[in-house]
Amino acid sequence: MRFQDAAPDARAVVYAGIQADPSIARIAGLLADANASQLLLARAILNGESSDPATWRAMVPTCFPDERSEAILAASLEIAAHADQARNQYRGAIVESVTETLLVRRITARGGPRTAIRRERRILFDGVRAEIHPYDVTVELPAAGEAYDCKWSARGIDGDVLHQLDDARAHAAAEDERLRVALVVFDTRIACGVRLARRTEPYAGTGLVTIEGFARLGGART
Amino acid sequence: MSEAIEPVVGRAVDAVGVLETLGEEVADEWTYVTDLARVQRRRLAEIADRRGGTSLASDRVSAIDLAIAEVGRIVDPHRAIDWLSTFPDLVALALDEPLGGA
Repeated sequence: MRFQDAAPDARAVVYAGIQADPSIARIAGLLADANASQLLLARAILNGESSDPATWRAMVPTCFPDERSEAILAASLEIAAHADQARNQYRGAIVESVTETLLVRRITARGGPRTAIRRERRILFDGVRAEIHPYDVTVELPAAGEAYDCKWSARGIDGDVLHQLDDARAHAAAEDERLRVALVVFDTRIACGVRLARRTEPYAGTGLVTIEGFARLGGART
Repeated sequence: MSEAIEPVVGRAVDAVGVLETLGEEVADEWTYVTDLARVQRRRLAEIADRRGGTSLASDRVSAIDLAIAEVGRIVDPHRAIDWLSTFPDLVALALDEPLGGA
């Protein structure tokens, strides 16, 4: 098993510009330390229509007054102001960036190198054709690899991603390698449960992280 | 003003129906939308049943009505599907219920 950079296509080049937007790193840093209610606040704003901060404060009163909630509110409204297509790309980039931030936190806290966490990587196995889509975030440590696919919503869970993650896990096992695979979904556990309930693809060996348990990615025991 | 929990949650259940109807316009997601709407309606109804006879503080009634008003602003069916998972948890938060129905 080995990791490799994905060759950037035209979409990836455009998307890289969004990933590098400072607003993404800013909100990811805020969300990495957010509780589940604050993550829901961000999800609601980034899915919503209202641009008045007072409306959101009153709609989610359990999050206010609070300094982090205010910062999340402002950062979310800034991104929600983008037109629909860009907003969708920003939302995807946010999930990836939060995931990366939390994984860096967990790995470095245990003495691992920051460079072990990578973005947009393929995983290659002997005699197996490479997957078309790279993994959003990977942890590349000897004998402890991890691969994450990040989704803004449960709707993003489809047969292709479930097969890709399970195939990677199985191929790694066939090479006596350990590869942890998981979906990180910036959506609720209920929505993901409903989405998965009708899927026929294998996913028993695939982890699922939803907004109720994001902190676990960073090593928290929630 | 404070208000009994049943009519407030009843309005939220109606709003789930609005999102469901809009989300069903995405034909490929019809099954997911109807499944999710059914689960969310049942979840909210269970809360109302369990806490029946209690009243909600005015700020919590306002919070839920603002979330319902936000539902009314949504015209894009894809965004309606996103809100079908988000809206009931906003209601749950306002009711001091755990996220995700846990």
